[in-house]
Amino acid sequence: MARDHERHADDPAAYLLGALSELERQAFERHLMGCSTCGEELDHLRPATEALPRSVSPVRPSEALKSSVMEAVEREAAEREAAEREQPSRRRAGATGIRTRLRALVPSLTGRGPVVAWVSASFLLAVGLAFGAVGASLLSDDDGRTLAARVDSVRVPEASGSLTIASDQSRGAILRVHGMPSLPSREVYQVWIQRDGEMVSQSIFSVGEDGGGAAAVPDDLEGADSVAITREPSGGARAPSGKPVVSVGL
Amino acid sequence: MTLVQAGDPRAFEVLFDRHSGAAFSLAYRMVGNRVTAEDISQEAFLSIWRSRLRYRSDRGSVRTWVLGIVHHRAIDALRRNLVHDRRRATAEGLEERLEAPELTDVEVARRDEASQVRSAIGTLPSEQSRVVELAYFGGFTHSQIAEMLGAPIGTVKGRMRLGLEKLRRELVEQVA
Repeated sequence: MARDHERHADDPAAYLLGALSELERQAFERHLMGCSTCGEELDHLRPATEALPRSVSPVRPSEALKSSVMEAVEREAAEREAAEREQPSRRRAGATGIRTRLRALVPSLTGRGPVVAWVSASFLLAVGLAFGAVGASLLSDDDGRTLAARVDSVRVPEASGSLTIASDQSRGAILRVHGMPSLPSREVYQVWIQRDGEMVSQSIFSVGEDGGGAAAVPDDLEGADSVAITREPSGGARAPSGKPVVSVGL
Repeated sequence: MTLVQAGDPRAFEVLFDRHSGAAFSLAYRMVGNRVTAEDISQEAFLSIWRSRLRYRSDRGSVRTWVLGIVHHRAIDALRRNLVHDRRRATAEGLEERLEAPELTDVEVARRDEASQVRSAIGTLPSEQSRVVELAYFGGFTHSQIAEMLGAPIGTVKGRMRLGLEKLRRELVEQVA
């Protein structure tokens, strides 16, 4: 049982019913990570909340719902197939790799030692947002590898993500995510490289209405342990203020 | 589900056909109008498609996963105040009148199941079923419910816990 259990003892039921405010939910989820009592209570009560939607009488949706969903699904599947077909035929990158090009884009990211990086927040935000558009082209001529991300199933239950690393990992990577919760205007997602227990800031970004987004990881990944995303105040943080919501082990 | 996770649109269509009725019904029950309920359902299914690799069978059924995402999206919509004419978690009524006149076999089974779960909810003391419904279907926070009912927050949270505990017991007894 965690030390602050008394404060959260009545929270599991409210949490399962969706009755905690955003801040309360986040506080409870942090508590939950260290409190087996609350975890057991959640497991115990969950069947009751899972039964609640079954109490609703069936109402048939319109045919238009299926058409619009399947149209988007088929379009995305076709785009993915096309991208996979093109991948093997693409030539290897020339002397100018991702990192080199990112250096041109983000001069302040280069030449740092192994200390927590601090980059102009607004500049990084612009890079993060812009990367959705330019990231694909930066990687498009590179036969890199893609790793699946681990996500925090409690805080970002619908999220998924992947990290595409250049064949020469010193040239950086692109982190793509889907299904991430939209953040209030005062918060951003921040990307970090973890190396020898130290977290080095890479970029900050926002996600679109569909929860999708992409961010640059411009630093050399040699010797890095993982790439991670945290929620931070608008403008980014000098060090992570909480546990990662998404991470990719290297 | 394996084919869905591999990105097969036809397999996803089967998943949609199987669960869209329950998903839409839940959204409709929560927000009370078809247009918003369809928007929520559409967002939820696209989110399910995009996060298909996140599903893990050891954590529950596909239906539970789908309905959880729909519930989450509907609460977001309610709290963003997108729904102007909120139904405020009333008892069954409107959807009974609007449900399809000719039900499929699956819909008949779902209606029977709904009746059983409602019967279990009906065994709860009214103060417990009220807070459970206001929270789950109305999207209200415990503090909003406390204000609405003029009750202390601790009391409201306690009723939620007791209500879910009793509902769980009733459901177990139904199965037994």
